[in-house]
Amino acid sequence: MLGMLYIVAIINGRTNMSNLSFQEKSTWGTLVALLIIGTLYSNAAWQLWQRDVLVSEALFGLLIGYTVLLVIVLVAYHVLIVVVSGSEAEDERDRLIEWRAGYIGGIVLAFGVFTVIGHILIGGWLGDPLFLSPVGIANALLLAMLVASVAELALKLVYYRRGI
Amino acid sequence: MPVNISNRVRDLRYEHGQMTQQALAEAVGVSRQTIIAIESGKYSPSLEVALKIARAFDRSVESIFELH
Repeated sequence: MLGMLYIVAIINGRTNMSNLSFQEKSTWGTLVALLIIGTLYSNAAWQLWQRDVLVSEALFGLLIGYTVLLVIVLVAYHVLIVVVSGSEAEDERDRLIEWRAGYIGGIVLAFGVFTVIGHILIGGWLGDPLFLSPVGIANALLLAMLVASVAELALKLVYYRRGI
Repeated sequence: MPVNISNRVRDLRYEHGQMTQQALAEAVGVSRQTIIAIESGKYSPSLEVALKIARAFDRSVESIFELH
C-alpha cells in the first residue's frame, strides 16, 4: 500500500496528474495493473504448461489467484487516487471516449475469439495438442480478452490525449 | 481528433472576470479537463453542453462556436 502511494506520488510529481481527469488516471492505473498482472499470470501459466502440469485445477487456481490480486490492486489504486486528488463524476466526453474505445475493443475481442476458433479447427485437423486441450483453449481465450482490454484502455488514453 | 469547430470559450472566460476553467466546468456540469479539451479544439461538446456554456456567458451558441 505504501509502495503504491509512493508510485502515485512519483507519477503525480512527474506528470502533473492534476491535469488528468479521474477517469484518465483510472485508465492509466488499470492499464498498468492489467499489463503487469497479465504478464505475471502468463509467465506462471507458461511455466506450468512447459512442466506439463497446467491441468484444469491448476488453471482454475491461477485464475482465481490472479483475478483476486487484480481486484485488490485496482481497488487500492482507486482509493489512492481518490485520496490524493479526489473523485470526479463521469461526463459526456468520458462516456463518448469509453463508447468509442469499447467499440474497437469489442472488434479486437471478436477477432481474437475467431482466431482461436480457427486455430481449434486447424489444430483439430492437424492434431496440434495446444488447441485440442481445454486448458490451452481457455488460455488462448484469456489472451484474446487481455489483448482486447489492453487495446481498449490504450485507445482511451489516446482519445484523452489526442482528442475525440 | 481535430474538429472543424472553433470556439471563443477561452476569450469569454477572460472577458468574464478571469473565470477559471474549474468555475466554468462546475457551471456547465463537466470536468475541468473537458473544458480544457473544448478550448483546445480537441473535443466538440454536445448541444446540451454548448447551450449551457452559452448560458454561462449570456451569449448565443453561434457567437461562441463557429463551424468552418
